[in-house]
Amino acid sequence: MKKLSWLTLVLVFMLVLSACGGNSSKNNEGNANSGASSSGSQNSQSKGGGSEKVKITILNSKAEIHNQMTEAAQLFMSANPDIEVEVISTTQDQSPVERASALYASGTPATLTMLDTGDIEKFADKALDLSNEKWVADLAQPFLVDGKTISFPFAVEGYGLIYNKEVLDKVSGGSFDPASINTTAKLEALFQKIEQAGIVPLYIGSMDWSLGNHFLAIAYATQPDTDVKGFIEVLKQGKADLVNNPSFNGLLDTFDVMKRYNGGKDDPMAVNYEQSTAMVAKGEAAMTFNGNWLITELLKSNPEGEYGFVPVPISNNEGDHANSSVAVDATKQFFLDAEKSTPAQQEAAKKFLNWLVYEAEGQDFQVNKANVIPAFKNINLELNNSLAIAINQYNLSGKSIEFAGNFVPGDHWKVLGASMQKYLADKADRATLAAEIEDYWKSMQ
Amino acid sequence: MLTERKLSKRLYNQLLFTGPTLLAFTCVILVPFVYGIYMTFFKWDGISSSMPFIGLDNYQAVLQDKKFWASVWLTIKYVAASVLIINVLGFALAYLVTSGIRGQNFFRASFFSPNLIGGLVLGFIWQFIFHIFLPSVGESTGWSIFEKTWLGDETKAFWALVIVTVWQYAGYMMVIFIAGLMSVPKDVLEAARIDGASGFRQIRHMILPLMVPSFIVTVFLSLQRSFMVYDVNYALTGGGPFGSTVMASMHVYDKAFQRFDYGVGQAEAFVLFFIVATITITQVYMTKKLEVEA
Repeated sequence: MKKLSWLTLVLVFMLVLSACGGNSSKNNEGNANSGASSSGSQNSQSKGGGSEKVKITILNSKAEIHNQMTEAAQLFMSANPDIEVEVISTTQDQSPVERASALYASGTPATLTMLDTGDIEKFADKALDLSNEKWVADLAQPFLVDGKTISFPFAVEGYGLIYNKEVLDKVSGGSFDPASINTTAKLEALFQKIEQAGIVPLYIGSMDWSLGNHFLAIAYATQPDTDVKGFIEVLKQGKADLVNNPSFNGLLDTFDVMKRYNGGKDDPMAVNYEQSTAMVAKGEAAMTFNGNWLITELLKSNPEGEYGFVPVPISNNEGDHANSSVAVDATKQFFLDAEKSTPAQQEAAKKFLNWLVYEAEGQDFQVNKANVIPAFKNINLELNNSLAIAINQYNLSGKSIEFAGNFVPGDHWKVLGASMQKYLADKADRATLAAEIEDYWKSMQ
Repeated sequence: MLTERKLSKRLYNQLLFTGPTLLAFTCVILVPFVYGIYMTFFKWDGISSSMPFIGLDNYQAVLQDKKFWASVWLTIKYVAASVLIINVLGFALAYLVTSGIRGQNFFRASFFSPNLIGGLVLGFIWQFIFHIFLPSVGESTGWSIFEKTWLGDETKAFWALVIVTVWQYAGYMMVIFIAGLMSVPKDVLEAARIDGASGFRQIRHMILPLMVPSFIVTVFLSLQRSFMVYDVNYALTGGGPFGSTVMASMHVYDKAFQRFDYGVGQAEAFVLFFIVATITITQVYMTKKLEVEA
């Protein structure tokens, strides 16, 4: 009896201990696995008598394309029998950075890790320099960290004023040309014309992420003498003087115009994502401010609709680059681990990236399977929706500004989105808004 | 106990029963808590491999973080309003469903049921009500109070949060109050009735004093839950409009996991813990003094 209770006690303790020490047991498992796989590869070697298989892992952070990514890996493997690719994906609401840093902490990072563009810099010391890869020359927009290309852009996205083609064709009496709107005054004239036709000119979605990280961020991306990162430094040092900043004022002048013609101006905070989208899709409103990801929502309300982008003008000067450009960038980037992976693995991973860009199967995966806009000039496959086509055209013709939201801190959308909402609802004037933005950035040091 | 004279044996017996719980408690509460405090002395973004020691700088930052103190003050106002209404309403409901009205079991079940829905789902349901349903009521009836969405106005959004919290917890507290009401001795009430005490006098002088133990529990629960509110806050207002309803927990979360400032976030969480602990301990201590015997 006594012995039995001792035994129970010991057992319970062991149970609790093993529950607490979950990590270490997991590591053992991982080792066992890698042991198994290496013995497996030895087997295949003895069978096939060929060279040893190289195994690479890909951490995919677009959870919605996990299946497509796995299929692509299969195709790649059958084209390259000496390489084995394993795809792991983050879950829908897991932060990619969290997963990647957990993998690094346990000493088993993925060979290729897909992160949000803004997070690549945090892993710069762990990433391999890819500047000499062939695909760098085919990039539509370079993405450099400290002057080097350390990541492979995947899934280009962009935003601007989305318009319903049918409505604007009708209003302008012919085919509407988005390039004809390149000043704030012309935008206002267009709004007036739409209003006279008895249609709501636009709905401004009151989402904080949209106003803060997309709309306001245009001001960071359109500074004449510096890029986004440079301007953020100026902001952090408190030297931006936004009240007298021409791009900031120009952008807000446009915003004022938009506010005047906003279909929801009586209760601006009530206009949400779904409502603003449905209005444009049904043709009850002509435009809304958003990005190409809106297409799924638009097609829900009206599967036949065709849409396009008008740039957000920031001045009345027709020649301004920003007035004919929309914000475009790859929102996801792969980086290649240089810390733990062997040269053979690195070669295999590079091969995979090249396969994505130059092989028909890889291109087909990006455009038709994963439904992303590729970041490369050499890929000519027809994209499958009107907004993607529009973004791609802006991107390839160089009519793009930086997607500044990629470079701001994680709480920017919430804090400054709230400030923009105040301005939208006339609860704050321009000076207050400018002061809140400056305060936010100064607190970032 | 007398037979267990040897220290080792006594220790063994105690460990046999409390050991597993103690270990689990250490693993999931104590260690993270202490490690959390340890982290407040470092500057860390959650990813970087370097984690420099910066002493008390994080606490300095907490003192200077005006938004944090604004969120704490907002939380205190929210707690005051919700605790008061939850308990008054919970007691009223409990009194109602024990007074012998028809179908009282049905009412008990339906008042309790909101508590079975998780805060997130609740938030989204009420978001729909405040956003779509009430404005359309306002449109058809012309009542100006419902004309615009409540979630677009700072004050109304605050009260929307209070309403949803009350709706969620009043039924739960009602159950505790029902148990308390049941245990009020019938002979005392009967004697009061014979002496001619009115219904209100009975409540004021008999029932309420005898139910102080229930109030200790309900006030404690509602205090602690509304102080730590995150889910309803997140799902209903998301901190909006204009960031005016960011409660303390949400501010801490944003600091640590949106801004990746773990040190300051942890320090603020610790300060918040300290405030909540002080208030709830004082509350339990003070209300214990009010307890009476029948």
